[in-house]
Amino acid sequence: MIRIENLSVAFDGPEVVKNVSLEIGDGEILGVVGESGCGKSVTALTLMGLSPRTARVTSGRILYDDVTLLEAGKPRDEALYRRYQGARMSMVFQEPMTSLNPTQRVGRQVEETLRLHTKLTSQERKEKVLETFRAVGLKGEEIVYRSYPHQLSGGMRQRVMIAMAVILHPGLLVADEPTTALDVTVQNQIISLLGEINKKQKNAMLFITHDLNLARRLCSRVAVMKDGRIVETGETEQIFEHPVQEYTRQLIQAVPSRLKERKREKGPRENGRGYAAPVVKVQDLSVYYQEGSNSLFGRKKRRCVVKGADFELYAGESLGLVGESGCGKTTLSRAVLGMIRDIDGSVVHNTLRPQMIFQDPYGSLNPAKTVGWLLQEPLRARGAIDASLALSKEEMEEAAYDMLRRVGLEACYFHRRPSQLSGGQRQRISIAQALITNPGFIVADEPVSALDVTVQAQIMELLRNFQQEMKLACLFISHDINVVYKMCDRIMVMKDGRIIESGDTQEIFASPREEYTRQLLIGS
Amino acid sequence: MPAHVTKKRNKYLTAGLIMTGTAVLLGILAFFWTPWSTTAMSASERFAAPSFRHLFGTDNFGRDIFSRVMKGMGTSVMISALVVLLSASVGIFLGALTGYFGGVLDEIVMRVTDAVNGFPSILLALVVISVLGTGRQNLILSLGIVFSPSYIRIVRSEYLRLRDADYIKRARLMGVGKGRILFVHILPNILPVFWVSVMIGLNNAILAESGMSYLGIGVQPPDASLGNMLSDAQGYLQTAPWYALAPGLAIVWIVLGFSLFSEGIRRLGE
Amino acid sequence: MAYLGKKLITLIMTLFLVSAAAFLAFQIIPGDVVTSILGTEATPEREEQLREELGFNDPPVMRYLHWVGGLLRGDLGTSYRYSKNMNERMPVSELIGDKLPVTLWLAALSTVLIIVISLPLGVLWAKSRSHAVDAALGVVTQTAMAVPSFFLGILVTYCFGVVLKLFTPGKYVSYRQSFSGFLGYLIFPALSIAIPKIAMTARFLRNSMLTELGADYVRTACGKGCSQRRVMYGHVLRNALMPVVTFLGMIISEIVAGSIVIEQVFGLPGIGRLLISSISNRDFPVVEILILYITSAVILVYFLVDILYRVIDPRISEK
Repeated sequence: MIRIENLSVAFDGPEVVKNVSLEIGDGEILGVVGESGCGKSVTALTLMGLSPRTARVTSGRILYDDVTLLEAGKPRDEALYRRYQGARMSMVFQEPMTSLNPTQRVGRQVEETLRLHTKLTSQERKEKVLETFRAVGLKGEEIVYRSYPHQLSGGMRQRVMIAMAVILHPGLLVADEPTTALDVTVQNQIISLLGEINKKQKNAMLFITHDLNLARRLCSRVAVMKDGRIVETGETEQIFEHPVQEYTRQLIQAVPSRLKERKREKGPRENGRGYAAPVVKVQDLSVYYQEGSNSLFGRKKRRCVVKGADFELYAGESLGLVGESGCGKTTLSRAVLGMIRDIDGSVVHNTLRPQMIFQDPYGSLNPAKTVGWLLQEPLRARGAIDASLALSKEEMEEAAYDMLRRVGLEACYFHRRPSQLSGGQRQRISIAQALITNPGFIVADEPVSALDVTVQAQIMELLRNFQQEMKLACLFISHDINVVYKMCDRIMVMKDGRIIESGDTQEIFASPREEYTRQLLIGS
Repeated sequence: MPAHVTKKRNKYLTAGLIMTGTAVLLGILAFFWTPWSTTAMSASERFAAPSFRHLFGTDNFGRDIFSRVMKGMGTSVMISALVVLLSASVGIFLGALTGYFGGVLDEIVMRVTDAVNGFPSILLALVVISVLGTGRQNLILSLGIVFSPSYIRIVRSEYLRLRDADYIKRARLMGVGKGRILFVHILPNILPVFWVSVMIGLNNAILAESGMSYLGIGVQPPDASLGNMLSDAQGYLQTAPWYALAPGLAIVWIVLGFSLFSEGIRRLGE
Repeated sequence: MAYLGKKLITLIMTLFLVSAAAFLAFQIIPGDVVTSILGTEATPEREEQLREELGFNDPPVMRYLHWVGGLLRGDLGTSYRYSKNMNERMPVSELIGDKLPVTLWLAALSTVLIIVISLPLGVLWAKSRSHAVDAALGVVTQTAMAVPSFFLGILVTYCFGVVLKLFTPGKYVSYRQSFSGFLGYLIFPALSIAIPKIAMTARFLRNSMLTELGADYVRTACGKGCSQRRVMYGHVLRNALMPVVTFLGMIISEIVAGSIVIEQVFGLPGIGRLLISSISNRDFPVVEILILYITSAVILVYFLVDILYRVIDPRISEK
């Protein structure tokens, strides 16, 4: 039984966790959900005694089965915590690659927990580690034991982290976004594993996530956090079906989910795509990569990354491309844009300069330039290529201000630099920059994946509106099937470089033909 | 620099600015005026200890050490600045081309810079000097050759990194010309790294120049340089320790100033 | 193993290229070597005779091949400047023979000093929580890095030689006379080379450790219940040392350069001083061989560092 009472934590500045109280009973999974920066991770780290030295507990206390672990005004009892950490409480982190020591074999890293907390002999320790590896579903446990982290896949690494955490059957297990860095199908497996462990070991589990769908699947109770405070707590179904607080309602609303009815206008396919020629026509497209040594002497291998893709895209239509990381979806989109030259088959599009919107709002705007400069650059480039389209300085400036307004930003942002904008604002500028020349066709590569749910919803809305206004054809890439559901008229599912299934969004969601598609759908 | 950043107190920058500022100003001043002539000898005033008349004392020929240190600083700073100008220009040009385009040119340039970089810089400068002969231009040229590879590498790796940045991909999609991408889109983004390496380069150039002058293959007497003064002074450590101390500390002053300054700039960038 | 073989081939190729570059560079030098050896008053017959003797009438490539052939047989050529007796010029191998150990010992001693002092210093610095210690070490190392080695050599001479009289400046003790006396003298030049490098390496290690301390796996280790000590020595140190190994390789190759200058300061009869005097004497056969020697040493250091790196970093060794 874990009790957090009126906990407040501050770094140098104001409190980032304010008066938080939580209770987790044995065998119970409590979900803490909220957007980035809401204080959920700080709460977890403070509970675990892992918060950085600069963090101060300004009020409240933490109790573990009636033992006071931490109390405001007293320094953290490191010796007490060290006895608890690893043995009675442990934590699984978001990034399994960096959370493991890169230069130590994983077996030894897991074994260290036993070395620290038990008096087992080295033989017994190894036995126990192997046994735990089997229990968390790691096949070939002897090989895994001897492996270094970089030799394992992301899912295996996370299983190793879980093995390390649960090997001593701790009373408290904290999982901080344990599946965020993983692919959807692996995500499913890890979530069920955590559920199983919880059933078997009956530990109190704190599950931290930004993903409301995951919380709903795994947790018995949920606490919603915002700006360091708990906004609402309750039984999971209660929270999702009848949220009391306005913020909770917003959050749930913002989540793209199939469970909610989709407001959908008639797509361009239904209203007469019969006459219009496709904006983009891709026939039997295969894309190759050169890999291997890049020295003068080394021989290069030509690897086929995308195999025989066929599709068409019409004006005003949005085509979703889904699949897990490494399936070739980004490569396909690059080839369609002409950024990769080594291809077989044909790509024809009747637009002048198709544009692209990237996932990372921090990397897609030149940090050395102002917003105004960035918005005018496509116009300048167009003018330099085709003198008949050249605009005067005033016209370009006017067009930039106009675009700024249309993406919902005030004129004062014109002179700011990207570093002075938030992630959502940057993504708006990205969209503005891509659309200012009215390109007719854009590729959006995971454009909302790096954003918080509420911002995500706004950006999707914005894109949708532009699409209808400009009759834009859009190839929309995402790993998140729910986002695609909300954004796209048609869907293509990609696996290992092939498009394995494609069709109308509603149809695919209602009756997927392929087993793989079904798995992707379960994951959400 | 944007105003909101400089407001934060930056001790490194202040100290570095003061130290390099005095050195550079004294050095420039020395080309027009020194308290005493840098070459006039005086038999009656040999090895005068530091005093108000001769701030750092006089040397074995009775020449005023302070004046000669001033002149030496000027010479060192000027030579180093020219060396850095030469090597940094080569670096920007070749680094940008090889980093952005890659290909055969990149292969060749990288092999050569690999070979040169693995080599202690002073040794390479020695070889070049022994081929070209001594003299001020040759000194600048040889150090310029020696320092170019590190600039090429730094600039190249920055271009290589930014070549695939999302915003550069987008610039290509917009149809922005290659020259404009290289020097308008990418160049401003590498400047923070570049300025730090210029500062470090100035440091290394000063150390190399004074080292070579010390060995007698850099600036030749009777021209005053910090290195050849030290070499002369070494013989009189017993009788006139201040003679060695003055040019030596002058080098430390300049080098420390530049490194504090570059650390200050680096912190500004963060 | 395949990697090692490949690396060795590159190594040999580099050496070959450097030897060619070193040799051919001196063929294009302006000024006739013969005139500079014989002086301007020699008869044309004498000049022609010497030219023939030195092989100057052959094309450069032939002479290069001849030279390399000699090298492979262990013949390093003869000096232009030094003579063994009236009719025989000094073989380069004899000229270098007793100077090489001096430089090698100097480099070895400096390397040992750097490693033995800088590594513990860097670790202690990273561990220190006291702001005063941190700031003091910062100032001291920053200053030490700004002192050029020859000035440091002069300072060491002044402090330990002139003031404290721990050794007599200029009174070099040959290793043939007394080995302990030799090392006793050598420790001071070695110190002059080492001090700035110690400062650099300690700073580098400290920064590397602080970076590693912020890594995610450190949090994992703490979460297991590791003590600070265990986290530091069991997890952080090895990861932090990896970039330091590469850095040390660079530093050690710089020692070679440092020793050229330092030999001049302390009057050590090593190959550095020979190099300087040969360059000013335009004694090219000696210069060529010395460049080849120094290059080989530098390349060897990089090679060893590369291997060491592969041993300690599992991420590279298995690729």
